[in-house]
Amino acid sequence: MDRRSYLKSAGATGAALAAAGCLGGGGGQETIQIGSDIPYRPFEYETTEGELVGFDVDIAEAVFAEELGYDYEFVNNSFDTIIPSLNNENFRVIMSAMTINDERAEQVDFSDPYFTAYQTIVVREDSDISSTEDMRGVRVGVQKGTTGAAAAQSLKEDLDGELEINEYDQIPDAFSALLNNQVVAVINDNTVSAEFVNGEGEGQVRFVEGEGAAAEEGENAPPYLTLTVENYGIAFRQDDDEFREEVNGALAAIREDGTYDEIYSEYFAG
Amino acid sequence: MATDTGRTADRDRGVLEQLNDRAFRRLGVVGTSLFALGVVLFIGYILLVRVDYALLVEIVYPQFTFAFLRVIGIVAISSVLSVIAGVIVGLARVSRTRLTSSIAKSYIEFFRGTPLLFQLFVIYIGVPQLWSGSFPLEQFNYYAAVIGLTLNHAAYVGEALRGGIESIPDGQMEASRSLGMSYIQSMREVILPQAWRNSLAAIGNDQVILVKDTSLLTVLAIPELLSAFRQINSSTFDAWTPIVLVAIAYLMITVPLGKVIRTLEERADPATHGGDD
Repeated sequence: MDRRSYLKSAGATGAALAAAGCLGGGGGQETIQIGSDIPYRPFEYETTEGELVGFDVDIAEAVFAEELGYDYEFVNNSFDTIIPSLNNENFRVIMSAMTINDERAEQVDFSDPYFTAYQTIVVREDSDISSTEDMRGVRVGVQKGTTGAAAAQSLKEDLDGELEINEYDQIPDAFSALLNNQVVAVINDNTVSAEFVNGEGEGQVRFVEGEGAAAEEGENAPPYLTLTVENYGIAFRQDDDEFREEVNGALAAIREDGTYDEIYSEYFAG
Repeated sequence: MATDTGRTADRDRGVLEQLNDRAFRRLGVVGTSLFALGVVLFIGYILLVRVDYALLVEIVYPQFTFAFLRVIGIVAISSVLSVIAGVIVGLARVSRTRLTSSIAKSYIEFFRGTPLLFQLFVIYIGVPQLWSGSFPLEQFNYYAAVIGLTLNHAAYVGEALRGGIESIPDGQMEASRSLGMSYIQSMREVILPQAWRNSLAAIGNDQVILVKDTSLLTVLAIPELLSAFRQINSSTFDAWTPIVLVAIAYLMITVPLGKVIRTLEERADPATHGGDD
């Protein structure tokens, strides 16, 4: 899913985190400030007790604190202005479930990918759809403004326009429409869809399986048909190569020693 | 405020009132002119600086044209159905049978007392779930839109008509009945034509709101005007070009609709229509 902007709670969280950073950062080490658009479950969000948690937060802890020995603090910044803020030196890096793409790569440098999301197709259990070609002429549900909607749009072009797209406000509405026979398929991120397929939709819906974009790119492909592969990266200013290399080394190290898998399975069961 | 003027007013009320009226009028002219100037400058700035005309031409057809026609279609159907249903609700509401009128009252309470957005969700997401997966209607979002708008606005039309009927003195019904007319005859020949005229303004007002309520249909994945705006905004990050189109499109429906309603009101009013009773 592409990021939307959450302006709420920016000030309060920022202030609280800044205060926490001051208290903890007395050791003379450099504090790495991390720009992020909070909340965005499950990548960065606050618990009801106000504790900042999430996949990005745990990866930051592992990379910056445990591997590289820096202090770090998260700075809240709405997603639509987060790249200009990085280049204005409001923080050192961005960790905000940010998909690496060409437009962004013109303005910032990305680390090696630390998370991969796939656009996948979910259909009803009894559906006979088993390939993208079977999607010809059917109606699909997506969430407005997401990369799932973009993937549906490009699938439509591949099918010579023979695909109808219903754009819903929120992804649960698209899933309801699937259960209620209003759409034949839902195109969305694999991690979010998996929660639905294995949760409330269990026994009623399934992923379309087969090889797709992920297999083409020779990735460690998931079993279901993937329309696109989206890699999340940590964003750096373009003059920060040395630090970026340092972080890439740390990312490789946590993948090596199993820390990454541990964090991954905590947030994305299954 | 100022005791001085108070005393002057006591002394020479006529002159002061005239002065005040003139000052008041002048204040009105200055105030509205300033407001209009601000609006013109703002719109001029938007149209000259903010609107990307290349993008405007690109999106006006097919995206906006189809969204516009879709809205007109939905409005036309829902509008006719809601007025018909509203007359039924209104008649039931003024019924002298306790059961009928209290059912109509509950209907109005529910549909006026809960948000249309909620009602749309009930119809579109709640109702098909009762079939648990085998709901037969395809593209139910369009049906849900028309059903939702009709049920909701029937309540408002019904309530408007009730007001119109109740503003007719009881004596008229009694007189008609005593002339040997049935209840239905009296309603149709005597009460309703007058009640219709009395409630036309309120009903027309409601129909204009119905047009604007179609913006809620964006949540039913109907590609109407607001959906078109959101889609273009999220893909181009240009807000003002689609905003201008959306504003023009809605006004192209509501302004003529307002005119039609005013014409109907004038035609229904015997004072302006030469009185052909």
